Amino acid sequence: MPREIITLQLGQCGNQIGMEFWKQLCSEHGISPEGILEDFATEGTDRKDVFFYQADDEHYIPRAVLLDLEPRVINSIMNSPYANLYNPENVYLSKHGGGAGNNWASGYTQAEKLYEEIFDIIDREADGSDSLEGFVLCHSIAGGTGSGMGSYLLERLNDRFPKKLIQTYSVFPNLDEISDVVVQPYNSLLTLKRLTQNADCVVVLDNTALHRIAADRLHIDTPSFAQINQLVSTVMSTSTTTLRYPGYMNNDLIGLIASLIPTPRLHYLMTGYTPLTTAAQVASVRKTTVLDVMRRLLQPKNMMVSTPVHRQANHCYISILNIIQGEVDPTQVHKSLQRIRERKLAQFIPWGPASIQVALSRKSPYIQTANRVSGLMLANHTSISSLFERTLNQFDKLRKREAFMDQFKKESIFKDNLDEFDNSREVIQQLVDEYQAATKPDYLAWGTQQASGSVDRI
Amino acid sequence: MDRRGTNETETLLLQKLCCKITGLSEDVILPVLQHALRIVGSKVDPLVESDEIQVAERIKRRLVRRGRESDAAVFSDLHRKLQSQGVLRNRWSILHLLLSLADSAPKSENATSRVSEQGFKRKKVYCIFYLDLNNNGINLNYKKDVKCTCKSGFCKTQSFLPVTTFTHVDPDRNSRSTGMRLASTLTDRGTESALMPRGARTVIESGIPINRGDNTSYELPESELIKDIVYTFQGIDGKWIKFDPSKDAYRIDTQAGIPKAVRQLVGKLAECGWLFKKIKSYVETKTVDKTFGLVGQSFCASLHQELTEYYRLIAVLESQVGILTLHQKLTEYYRLIAVLESQLHQELDQGIGLGFTGLSLRQLFVWTFDPLHRLKTLATVVDGCKGKKGGALSSSVYSYMLHGDPFIASLIKHILTMVAQPIYCTLVRWIYDGELEDTHDEFFVASDPTVKNDRLWHDKYSLRKSMIPNFVTTDQARRILLTGKSINYLRQVCKDTAPIKGREKSIEIDRNNAYVMFMQDTTTEFQNIIDEAYKDTSLHLLDVLHEKYKFLDHLKAMRRYLLLGQGDFIRHLMDLLEEDLAKPAGNLYLHNLTGILETAIRATNAQFDDSDILKRLDVRLLEVSPGDTGWDVFSLDYHVDGPIRTVFTPECIIMYLRVFNFLWRAKRMEYILAMIWKNQISNARMLRAIPELTGILHQCHVLAAEMVHFIQQVQYYINFEVLECTWDELLTKVKEAEDLDYIIAAHQKFLDTVTARCLLDEQSREILTQLRTIFDLVIEFQAAQDNFYSEATQELDIRRRYEHRRERRSKEGDWEVTDDEEEEEQLRRISFLKQIIPSTRARLTVLSQSYQDMVKQFLVMVTTHQDVSLRFLSFRLDFNEHYKSKEPKLQSPFMYRGLRHVT
Repeated sequence: MPREIITLQLGQCGNQIGMEFWKQLCSEHGISPEGILEDFATEGTDRKDVFFYQADDEHYIPRAVLLDLEPRVINSIMNSPYANLYNPENVYLSKHGGGAGNNWASGYTQAEKLYEEIFDIIDREADGSDSLEGFVLCHSIAGGTGSGMGSYLLERLNDRFPKKLIQTYSVFPNLDEISDVVVQPYNSLLTLKRLTQNADCVVVLDNTALHRIAADRLHIDTPSFAQINQLVSTVMSTSTTTLRYPGYMNNDLIGLIASLIPTPRLHYLMTGYTPLTTAAQVASVRKTTVLDVMRRLLQPKNMMVSTPVHRQANHCYISILNIIQGEVDPTQVHKSLQRIRERKLAQFIPWGPASIQVALSRKSPYIQTANRVSGLMLANHTSISSLFERTLNQFDKLRKREAFMDQFKKESIFKDNLDEFDNSREVIQQLVDEYQAATKPDYLAWGTQQASGSVDRI
Repeated sequence: MDRRGTNETETLLLQKLCCKITGLSEDVILPVLQHALRIVGSKVDPLVESDEIQVAERIKRRLVRRGRESDAAVFSDLHRKLQSQGVLRNRWSILHLLLSLADSAPKSENATSRVSEQGFKRKKVYCIFYLDLNNNGINLNYKKDVKCTCKSGFCKTQSFLPVTTFTHVDPDRNSRSTGMRLASTLTDRGTESALMPRGARTVIESGIPINRGDNTSYELPESELIKDIVYTFQGIDGKWIKFDPSKDAYRIDTQAGIPKAVRQLVGKLAECGWLFKKIKSYVETKTVDKTFGLVGQSFCASLHQELTEYYRLIAVLESQVGILTLHQKLTEYYRLIAVLESQLHQELDQGIGLGFTGLSLRQLFVWTFDPLHRLKTLATVVDGCKGKKGGALSSSVYSYMLHGDPFIASLIKHILTMVAQPIYCTLVRWIYDGELEDTHDEFFVASDPTVKNDRLWHDKYSLRKSMIPNFVTTDQARRILLTGKSINYLRQVCKDTAPIKGREKSIEIDRNNAYVMFMQDTTTEFQNIIDEAYKDTSLHLLDVLHEKYKFLDHLKAMRRYLLLGQGDFIRHLMDLLEEDLAKPAGNLYLHNLTGILETAIRATNAQFDDSDILKRLDVRLLEVSPGDTGWDVFSLDYHVDGPIRTVFTPECIIMYLRVFNFLWRAKRMEYILAMIWKNQISNARMLRAIPELTGILHQCHVLAAEMVHFIQQVQYYINFEVLECTWDELLTKVKEAEDLDYIIAAHQKFLDTVTARCLLDEQSREILTQLRTIFDLVIEFQAAQDNFYSEATQELDIRRRYEHRRERRSKEGDWEVTDDEEEEEQLRRISFLKQIIPSTRARLTVLSQSYQDMVKQFLVMVTTHQDVSLRFLSFRLDFNEHYKSKEPKLQSPFMYRGLRHVT
């Protein structure tokens, strides 16, 4: 079974969105919560083997590893109808059970200790696939387990599977509300370093934007986790449709993201989705065309990343991929692209060719949706750097006061010094700088000065 | 004789007579009867003795007076015989009549007829009719020795002739009732004298006395001519009128004493014979011609039918000529008497003459007017049909159908009905049974028996353009061809024996209704028959193709495998083949490759495909040219057989293979770039340890990104503009198709469009070469980058070992490094960097420069290409106008004009 993808779900948030993701995949492929193929789904031409494998008894089992340091979410999964879906050997709950206490360092250290056990599971899963394409990691960057343990796993995965892709779905904290996690900026920064250095592609799921979308677009005043997670799972499942429904192009993860990520570090992707509706909402009566979908995808309000209002004029798209599902006339695609170019709806990088890629994907025949056409945008936009700048600012504020440093110093990684913080800050600052550089034509020569300088230094 | 008493009887008889002549009923005969009565009743009663002896004496006296004593002796002898036989009741009347006629002979016709009509007493007229109608015996008696001109009484009788002629000749012509025709003939006859130029008439008449006068053949008697003409009518040479093959005309013997006017008239009459001869010879030669075919035979038959009618006319004419001969003799006898008589009583019988002109040339002329017309038409048709047969012949005949003259139109229609009959029968058999019995190549569907089943649809049957009757439209012909072809195709190729829906209808079809073919102006029956048969058959065929032979499944399989639609399979196949295909083409073994193919199928979603489809999937190695690697010659193949081969002809498969080759190359680029990208990602991580290389890495990344963009956009272009759009169109057409030809055409168009848009056609050759060059640069870049990475990784290893050594020594409590060692290491590093950085940089710069130049040139070529759809490609490739800003040629305001107006 070629090009398999193993999903790693870490921490409370990671397991929650992971569960929603599998729910969505099961319903799209016609697999029951027990993992049995529904009668109506036997004739499908969909590829289930990317994300599932078949056990001896023909049950479909997700290639998923569930990891957490505290039992709450995993227990709720195990008590849900989907309990029997997962391979129980792949569900790992720390015996300690106390969680990471929203501390990155705690999560990181605990993961270090659990390395053997965790990688037993991951290795077994990797051995079970013919040609593993890579890993998908679901986590949040603000908490303890998802960020700390996630960071550790990213590093180790790099060592252990240097040729495998690592994609993450990383939930960024909501900055609009005061978080109960005070060390959130620390956690975020430390995780961001790993995401920058050890992951190949990060899909940014910005809780700020998700809540805004829930409130503004879906008219839910106080959106529940479930509702937010549904949005996330929609994004996740849609971004993998081309892998699951084979067509002429984009049949593997690498093909999908290679064109989105021109240089290795600029691998943070924003997402946008339209039309945004919750299950309860009545379908809009408007007829949706490809152009409508593509135009709406370019509107900031549909983006699932909150970038600051005071936009610097020169921020631009590095690349765009629109995955459009539904009944689409292929001849419409070209016309829509033309219109968008004529109207200059999207600003692109000045240093190289870039365009809007459009992938048409089949829709699952088993799910009735009210919308004729729906679209997901995966975009590499330089304004994502403002998210990092924000994190840097918050970090700097906390760091200046040396606030909440004690609980970090307790853990082994910070026992000797706090260099890790400074190091992480430098990495993120470099990332921000590179994003800034990417808005200018001389990005082509970026790094050359640096390099020649260093040669001279030597 | 009591006049009053006989008056009533006479009227009654006259009425009967009129009825008999006219054929009208007693009720409506009144006007005619009145006219007749007027004629009979108008008596300019000459004072004649009703004594037979006296009259006989007068005749004798006249003969003697004119110096014909011997004739007088003969007459008295004859008279005696007549008296003794007692056959004639009214001997006196006859003698008197003869006398009167003899007197009036030299006078003008007008006067004669008038006088003769008026000159008879009712009794005498009655007597004459009696004689003529009831008994010809007496005439026989006179035949041998009496020579005289005709009498007007016979003219009346003979006026039946045309009537009977017409009614017999033309039983099909039912536009006019017999009665009407009779009336018109009578009218014709009535007007004849008025129409005919007096001079001509006088010539004929006047010739006779001259002839008689000196008793030589200086001028031929009309009867002779008539006899000859009647012969001529039958295409036989007469005594005087002979066919001159050198002139291709009938010529009157120049020696014959015939006046010019008569010659002209005879010439005109001879036309009939000429035409007859022409038609007859055509019919005769063609009837024995075995290759002339059914249509030709029908044509001959119809001509023959017409000729038979004509024969009937001639037969009647001939019988009239026979009578004529009798009467001629009789008349001559009378004339003899009359001459004598007139010498005696010239003054007495001034008003009485011979009114009978017999079967005159003019009458013939009139009677043959219609037949001549017919013959002329037939001859024209025959001329038009010369050298033609089958459908072409029917076309020729049909071209006369639109003649304005309803007479001709109906004649032609009759012929055409017969001519079209075999065509119609063949047609009906063809469209319902698919059987083509056309040994003489007359039908417009031709069959080539040498064609094998696999080309049956394309080559076996064709339209014989020349044989399409022009009353059948091209579209109808096409449908007819298609219908029969479909049946044969179903039977022979699809091995389908199920009856076609409309088959039973064919039994109901009246095969004699050939006229529906050429009467399409008035009936849609023919169109309906064709349409229904066409629809039923075609739909049945499509059903069989879809249901039994899974046409659509095969089409989709083509799309999935030969057009790389099954992405996961293609991807995996490439994974597995990568190593093999890098080898020289000569080192490839088909069996290895088929094994790999099998593996790829088993491992991907292709495994869920129908086993029949998978069985057909195979590997093919294209022709190897020197220097080729496996990539150049590898191709997937799809075996087709049976009916679907008709759509997927070997030519089509070749096109598929060419497209496959193009797509496969593009896919390989995508594949290579994915590997390049993956290498970059992992190496970027590792080589962070050597920050000096950041610049080169970045250069690699940017160049790779540009290439990825290019290849991705080419792929998107292929996906949408080439495959999706045309595929969409094809599927729509396949769904709406009503016959197989439509599908074949749609499929061909699909392939043509795909080929053209894949730059595989003739006019895109340069662009394709340019694209290949770009592809080559990608491969070159891959090599350059791999080279760089391996050197960099090596350096990394050395550094790691150095660090490792340092750490080990540090652990052992030793000095980490000595100054010498450190300096050595530093020098080594600098020399490495000095060696690798500038050279790699230079190589990458050159590569990147030539790549960009190539792309720009490619864009210019694509933008100026005539095919607008290719501009989609340039539009995609330079969406953010990155190249446009760099390439002055692309900035020309005309370049993108086309693009802006496409919407």
